[in-house]
Amino acid sequence: MFGKKRVAIVGAGLTLFRRNLKETGKELCYEATKMALDSAGLTLKDIDSVAFGSAPDAFDGIHMKGENMIDSAGGWRKPFSRVFVGGGTGVFTANAGWWHVASGLFDTCLVVAEEKMSSCYPHPAHAFTTIFDPIMSRPLGTTLIWIFALEMHRYMHRHGIKKEQIALVSVKNKKNALDHPCAQLGANITVEDVLNSEIMCWPVQRLDISPTSDGAAALVLASEDVAKKITDNPVWIDGVGWCIDSTYWTNRDLYYPDYVEYAARMAYRMAGIKNPPKEIDVAEPYDPFDYKELHHMEGLLLCKKGEAPKLTEEGVTQRDGDLPINPSGGLLGVGNPIAAAGLMKVCEIFWQLRGEAGKRQVPGDPRTGVAQAWGDLMQYGSVIVLRR
Amino acid sequence: MSIEKISDPRQVRHWPGHMEADYIYTHGIAGERFFKEIKENGRITGTRCKHCNLVYVPPRIYCERCFEKLEEWIDVGTKGTIQTFTVAYVDIDGSKLKQPTTYAMIKINGTNGGLLHKIGEANLKDVKIGMQVEAVFKPKEEREGSVNDIKHFKPVK
Ligand SMILES: [Zn+2]
Repeated sequence: MFGKKRVAIVGAGLTLFRRNLKETGKELCYEATKMALDSAGLTLKDIDSVAFGSAPDAFDGIHMKGENMIDSAGGWRKPFSRVFVGGGTGVFTANAGWWHVASGLFDTCLVVAEEKMSSCYPHPAHAFTTIFDPIMSRPLGTTLIWIFALEMHRYMHRHGIKKEQIALVSVKNKKNALDHPCAQLGANITVEDVLNSEIMCWPVQRLDISPTSDGAAALVLASEDVAKKITDNPVWIDGVGWCIDSTYWTNRDLYYPDYVEYAARMAYRMAGIKNPPKEIDVAEPYDPFDYKELHHMEGLLLCKKGEAPKLTEEGVTQRDGDLPINPSGGLLGVGNPIAAAGLMKVCEIFWQLRGEAGKRQVPGDPRTGVAQAWGDLMQYGSVIVLRR
Repeated sequence: MSIEKISDPRQVRHWPGHMEADYIYTHGIAGERFFKEIKENGRITGTRCKHCNLVYVPPRIYCERCFEKLEEWIDVGTKGTIQTFTVAYVDIDGSKLKQPTTYAMIKINGTNGGLLHKIGEANLKDVKIGMQVEAVFKPKEEREGSVNDIKHFKPVK
């Protein structure tokens, strides 16, 4: 065991993911946090600490939004901290919650993640332009979509992958999301729909991309001794990992996310996982674009490099396949309020391992699951391994 | 909580606002020398780490791997290889561009680094990953010490 105490998830909460919700970011945080506490049968009095995660301040348009959100995340007069690693924030917030409790400092920790992207008007793409280097990239007019397009093209080129194969991910995840009560973009679409959608920055088309969303997610963590008093059905955090690569993304080969592999290896070592495809029953890799699910399956060592499209074609990654990938519907289907979307993935694994995923439940009594998020400039991976 | 799908935030009670802040960014120690070479001499330069045997483009004054200070500046030439590229059809708001623009990640030959830039003087259908390209500089009097002093990269004939 790593750390002083074993750490369990004992409750989870999630708001609707939608574009332009009426609720403020604070109100969304409150809904998710209250739901997580209720599901654990706890009140705020039982909480010793709070780990909060949110992506760039520019989305909500509140500089220092961590401080702004304190009350709604249950942080009033408590040890509170905000963590931030770009798109990887959601899963990393759960990792941060883990060390709050694993260190022995606290018996319980609330993990809360929020994003209200629709505040940035007319489109949050404008908030993304200032994430690029002001000297080397911004004068070229860099946009977020074309840097994804560069990575997608490199990945396709290296392995000879076709757009048709990648589109299957979007089809699968939007279909899975039809069974998610919080989902924004659940739909029955076809590969042709994806291939006929508007070309944004080739090879990226409209239906390859997840939407702009508002939403929040929350977890309650507890140390082993406390968790066993709260529930008969704890889900253990058995591995955490994170890693970042060079900021100079032009100096790396984008066909493979080494940093995700390093983060996964850290988490697997902690969890004692030696053969990931055999030992992992269900996975939620980060899928802001359809090719990213494939890219991340490979980085998570769930298959060989370049093999993820084939597994997808064979149906292995369907909810009833041998290795269900994104049974929630992922970011492509449920939506993508950045930090909340990452934590939504941890919530999904929690519900899947407890057998509480309803219509989304993967068959076969899953015992081990992994969630992963990704962020910054094609460079950051955060991974968490959960077990029942 | 509300479940209606609102597509325009002006439909809900709201308060418009903006966060105004202007910035002046310095090029830095390495950046100033890099852009001076481009502006005055039409040269692309890098710095070499002799411990790691790496050439950094764009240049840096330190090696991120071994953390040694980098003081060896080299002229790396103006040619590179297209690692990957995209053709942008829409602008940042999703509106159609009049003219699609090709952007590429170009690995500068003989180095471990590269630049992001436009591809010009090429037929779109001929642009391929692995293609050799070279920097085309603006006329000297128009250069101002910016990455846009390079007009674009064009295929090597
Ligand atoms: Zn070095």
